[in-house]
Amino acid sequence: MRLTINGRPWEGDPAGETTLLGLLRDDLELTGTKLSCDRGECGACTVQLDGRTVHACLTLAHGCDGQAVRTVEGLAGPEGALNDLQAAFIAHDAAQCGFCTPGQLMAADALLAANPRPSDEEIRAWMAGNLCRCGTYPNILTAIRAVAEARSRG
Amino acid sequence: MAEVKSGFITTTVEVEGRTETRVVERPAFEPTPWGTDAALTHVGQSPPRVDAPEKVTGRARYTADIQRPRQAVALFLRSTVAKGTITHFDATAARAVPGVLAVMGPGDAPAKTRLFPSAISYAGQPIAAVCAESESVAWRALRAIVVQIDSLPFAATFEATAAPDAPKVRSAGNLAEPIVVSRGDVAAGLAAAEVTITREYRTPVALHSAMEPHGAVAEWEGDRLTIWESTQGIFRTRNDVARVLGIAQSQVRVIKEYMGGGFGAKNGAGAHTFTAALLAKQLQRPVRCVLERDGEQMDSGNRPATTQRVTLGARRDGTLTAIRLDADVPLGISGWEGGPAQLYHELYACANVHTTERFAHINASGMQAFRAPGYAEGAIGLEGAMNALATTLGIDPLELRRRNFAERDPRLDRAFTGNALRQCYDEAAERFGWTAPRPAPDRAHPERVRGRGVAAQTWPTGGGPPAYATARLNNDGSIEIASGTQDLGTGARTVLAQIAADAFGAALHDVRVVLGDTERAPYAGNSWGSMTTASVGPAVRMAAEDARAKLLDAASQLLNVPADALETRESRIIVRDSDRTMTFAEVTGKLGNVMIQGRGSRGPNPSDRAIVTVGVQMAEVEVDRMTGVVRVLRIVAAHDCGRVINPTLARSQLEGGILQGLGYALFEERRLDGATGVPLNPSLHDYKIPTMADCPAIDAWCVQNVDADANHTGARGLAEPPLIPTAPAIAAAVADALGVEVSELPLTPWRVLAALG
Repeated sequence: MRLTINGRPWEGDPAGETTLLGLLRDDLELTGTKLSCDRGECGACTVQLDGRTVHACLTLAHGCDGQAVRTVEGLAGPEGALNDLQAAFIAHDAAQCGFCTPGQLMAADALLAANPRPSDEEIRAWMAGNLCRCGTYPNILTAIRAVAEARSRG
Repeated sequence: MAEVKSGFITTTVEVEGRTETRVVERPAFEPTPWGTDAALTHVGQSPPRVDAPEKVTGRARYTADIQRPRQAVALFLRSTVAKGTITHFDATAARAVPGVLAVMGPGDAPAKTRLFPSAISYAGQPIAAVCAESESVAWRALRAIVVQIDSLPFAATFEATAAPDAPKVRSAGNLAEPIVVSRGDVAAGLAAAEVTITREYRTPVALHSAMEPHGAVAEWEGDRLTIWESTQGIFRTRNDVARVLGIAQSQVRVIKEYMGGGFGAKNGAGAHTFTAALLAKQLQRPVRCVLERDGEQMDSGNRPATTQRVTLGARRDGTLTAIRLDADVPLGISGWEGGPAQLYHELYACANVHTTERFAHINASGMQAFRAPGYAEGAIGLEGAMNALATTLGIDPLELRRRNFAERDPRLDRAFTGNALRQCYDEAAERFGWTAPRPAPDRAHPERVRGRGVAAQTWPTGGGPPAYATARLNNDGSIEIASGTQDLGTGARTVLAQIAADAFGAALHDVRVVLGDTERAPYAGNSWGSMTTASVGPAVRMAAEDARAKLLDAASQLLNVPADALETRESRIIVRDSDRTMTFAEVTGKLGNVMIQGRGSRGPNPSDRAIVTVGVQMAEVEVDRMTGVVRVLRIVAAHDCGRVINPTLARSQLEGGILQGLGYALFEERRLDGATGVPLNPSLHDYKIPTMADCPAIDAWCVQNVDADANHTGARGLAEPPLIPTAPAIAAAVADALGVEVSELPLTPWRVLAALG
């Protein structure tokens, strides 16, 4: 099977039962994507598959053949320059323990791609599948709103 | 700084509401307290978390992200019965699964580990572990183990375990000795009361539900063991492992760089730690043992349930004359006696208080401290009853609290180092609009009713010794601060860097804080009890000042001026009243490999003073009388924690505590099946924690204050206090909306509808 992972081609033949999460974390050592519930309840493993968000823990690796996977490691620009969403998460203290943060970022990035000017209610609805036990929600919401506003100003 | 005779002294420290007496070393000097007028550059500002870039790039490595060469994976098989005896255990088929490396079952682990007993005492208890090349192999092997358990009658509620014919839950007895604490004469206080109210409240078992489950990676090199562990206490974990495995503490290194939350459940080594260590030794390979989510929700600690029968006596003007509490607390199979009573003794001035806590063991996973243990539960009873009393008396509930404000610590009759609770009341009332007229009801939706409620809190946040830190200045001018504490996501790394930068007179970006490694840093205690900032902050400040004094001494030789003519600012040494300066790097560069080092330790707390963080929260809710659904519209929160080191991080702590309190109020409840004692909701789907969609508007802040009497940084703790008043404030708002109290948490739609009749 072939994938594009964060813009780079990858080819391999993982065991049939391998999840996308297992492939990323165990085989490719892309450990930014987290395992927390292993059943699609918490959003910590959220990655993008051809631009849509998926739970990597519930996605079989072979089912992704030919698609483009984007993970938190793929957000920063060349030479590690943080993108505006990452910078906003830092500026608005949108990561406490940081464990759910990669999933939050990937969900928020997909939201802004699908809906560049989301209302607060749309942000809440979209992000409701990404749990954060530290309770960072107000700051995550502020960070997303700030990026949407900044991008719309160009 | 004042020179003090060093030596050992006896002092008291309050941990999670318990007072401990300790013999500690008195530091050689105590820096002059940073008072209100202290000239601070970094403390009090809100630089971003120093580790935020790691967290937004995925580079931050958590325990489960550790990948050692040839690392194997271990998983647990858990009991599906609440009490029983294993009569047959056969792992032959499991061992035959290709890729399986080892199986440990009943009798295979040293007795001291208490792993895998054949007597089962709760559902979810580990009964075996499989170690394999991969997780999927381990899963397959777990399913191939054949176990036969003769189940026995169990007791999973307080009533069942306290019954005369109850099954034996623990050999030492099902009931622990009750804790009775009394001051004054509660009978006389009730006799003198003009109004008496009695209420009964029930609170649920709540689960910590950290996003990162408990876990450890263990690796042996010869007879030395390294453990990466998601823990709130690296030294406690090290000491647990050394004691249980029978090796020296110097043979064990515990590392915790990043962790995905703890909230009280990760205070030492657990079954997963011992299992990883034993299997790693047996296989001579690194082993990772991380709990799956259902294991995490079933068996990694919880806030125990309570039943609280509360009687308050008061005069017509609201003055409390008596507080009485009778509480039942089923602790689970294990745990310490963290009951709800303490808050009843500490929050209000009242001469007559009598509390009785009865603790019982039940056939369910053991309790662990959970953010503000005891106080969060106690606030449901005490603050619920205070609001009921206010209604009965026709006094505004905030006014009732003002009238019973405690000028001194009412429990031990001692002065507070600081207590700005009245300022919190004033500021919160102003920003909430507490006395503003209520909005008109929604005519289009008459079933939607609004209400508002208030609740207060206190919590001991003095911290205390022992806690140590070291500072070293490298010869390029960079600074390393090391302390064996840990950052759970609280921001400890950042606030300690801010303190060090100000104490050193250094630029913040020159300071690196090394935490979470027993071999690289001197001892600091567990990150629990909201103690870290107040315990470790002063040690870090002292270490930095100690190193700074040596740097100035060296610079005075190079600049040929007395050391006391020098000051430091943003990593530069400045000769006072002149334009001569040198950077730290210029000084250390000239010194070559001479090492400038500092040592700091936490001195004792002031004697006979209470050190507390206090606060108040107000909630506005909307309740749908047709469906019973409660929606929290907004929370206003004002707390006093002394000096705030980083206002942005403090606000994040407040919001986090409030949202956990909101979950406790509305959704969170572990359910056990009555017929089997098996947990029914060990998942994040069935055990509901708040999502962004549940998040109300939150206006939370710390009132401007400095507590230079608490310790020389002026800061007290903040992590736990904000959780305490949220749920009772929400419950009060619901009662206000409905005109009827719902006396059992969480306030689920069916409980709301039942209360409406």
